[in-house]
Amino acid sequence: MAGVNRSPGSESESGDGPDDAGVAVDRVGKTYDDGGSPVRALDDVSFDVEPGEFVCVVGPSGCGKTTLFRIIAGLTDATDGEIRLAGAPVTGPTTDMGVVFQEYHLFPWLTVAENVGFGLERSDRSEAERERRVEEMLDLVGLTEFRDSYPKSLSGGMKQRVAIARSLAVDPELLLMDEPFGAVDAQTREMLQRELLDVWASTGKTVLFVTHDVAEAVTLADRIVVMAADPGRVAEIVDVDVSRPRERGDPAFGEHVARVRELIGAMP
Amino acid sequence: MATDTGSRFDGDDLRIGLGLDDPRRLGRGALGVVGFVLLWYAASLTQPAYVLPSPVAVADAFAEELASGTMTTALWSSVRHWIPGTFVGTTLGVAAGVAFSWSGLLDDVTAPLVRTLRPVPPLALIGFAIAWFGINDAGAAFIIAVGAFWINYYASYGAVEGVSEDLLDVGRTLGVRGGLDMVRSIVLPASLPGILTGVRTGLGRCWMLVVASEIFGVPGVGREILRASNNLLVDTVIAYILVLSLMYLLVDVAFRAVQQRVLAWQA
Repeated sequence: MAGVNRSPGSESESGDGPDDAGVAVDRVGKTYDDGGSPVRALDDVSFDVEPGEFVCVVGPSGCGKTTLFRIIAGLTDATDGEIRLAGAPVTGPTTDMGVVFQEYHLFPWLTVAENVGFGLERSDRSEAERERRVEEMLDLVGLTEFRDSYPKSLSGGMKQRVAIARSLAVDPELLLMDEPFGAVDAQTREMLQRELLDVWASTGKTVLFVTHDVAEAVTLADRIVVMAADPGRVAEIVDVDVSRPRERGDPAFGEHVARVRELIGAMP
Repeated sequence: MATDTGSRFDGDDLRIGLGLDDPRRLGRGALGVVGFVLLWYAASLTQPAYVLPSPVAVADAFAEELASGTMTTALWSSVRHWIPGTFVGTTLGVAAGVAFSWSGLLDDVTAPLVRTLRPVPPLALIGFAIAWFGINDAGAAFIIAVGAFWINYYASYGAVEGVSEDLLDVGRTLGVRGGLDMVRSIVLPASLPGILTGVRTGLGRCWMLVVASEIFGVPGVGREILRASNNLLVDTVIAYILVLSLMYLLVDVAFRAVQQRVLAWQA
């Protein structure tokens, strides 16, 4: 049997999250109550992400993955519990997190370089420093030659690289991603996955990555938080004990995929 | 805002603006104009001049008004109504549209007023124009400004309403704090295409309003049209209508070129 399974919730009983760049999701619940009967979207979701760790959240549609993503990002308020980043409660959006959305959401009126530099304009860095940082990020995602292009002329994969560079430019503690490769074709997705792992290796960022693609999670993650639906909750946390770089043909890889799929139930 | 892609206006902008970039289309357009004038000429042969003057009579009237200096004086006078009226109405309309659409509080406070005032045609405000400004250029400009205001108000309001919530979320995660920063860095650029469409519509509508704004006795092209109408000088009426059309065309082509330059980032 692949992976060591931890029982959900047990890690955060102590209440204190990791000190540096780690994330604590602590008994988070969300109830939507807009007049009709209240809907419990998330219930008692708890897990930690260690500093520098790559954690994926997978689950069937309707398990509240995106709600959880928005709560961690500080874009939606939780009904219960809290998120802590490096020990401090998250009360709203913060530049300590680099957030990447599925649909890129680049600013179409800005060039690639201007998109990447958007967050830096609000930091206290000097202009020379900001420019150097933009070049560094463009180089990191291999888009230096497109620095002056507008998003309209980029492919989906390139747009997502820009979005990743834009979120990393402000040097966040955590990279938080919601199905970032869901909108590109399979080949591009695999390439972006490899690139993301390279970025992760070279920057040492903590990454929390939401996806519905089990193979993607097994390719990327140190640990996988498997969620169940109705209400959205943590079903199990699976360690991915497969050496990197991971190959899909590796039997251990296949075992992990099968194990996670079994936990989720029927899923493609 | 964007990296300077150059403010240089080369011949291409003007050619595209005028539709000169496609010779076949241009040829067909010329055919349409010639065909229309011929039909008009044929029809005018069957009618007295005060019902339908011939194109030749209109050309004569045009030349006559131009030669006597009446036309240029009238046009200059109208331009002096059009420019300040359009400028003030457009500026206030865009500002109010953006502010009321962005701020829920302002929207709530102003919604009943807006709905009450919106159906008032600018012409109905002539009494106010005379009382507040007098029978002068400022009064005429006021009428034009009211027309420009509403067009730009609704275009800007709708454009800001249409700004994607996702872009605002991205802004928040990238450190945008406070309404002013959000409006300046995301809401305005994202809604610029819609705002500029409103401005362009307004520029045209204001030429139409020039006639109405001069109805109470302020000199200008509109005044000349009304004067000629009263004397059944239909050829002169058409000559001055052509002046308005030409001004509209000139402004529209120029603005479209600017618009395409500013919105070069658009797909």
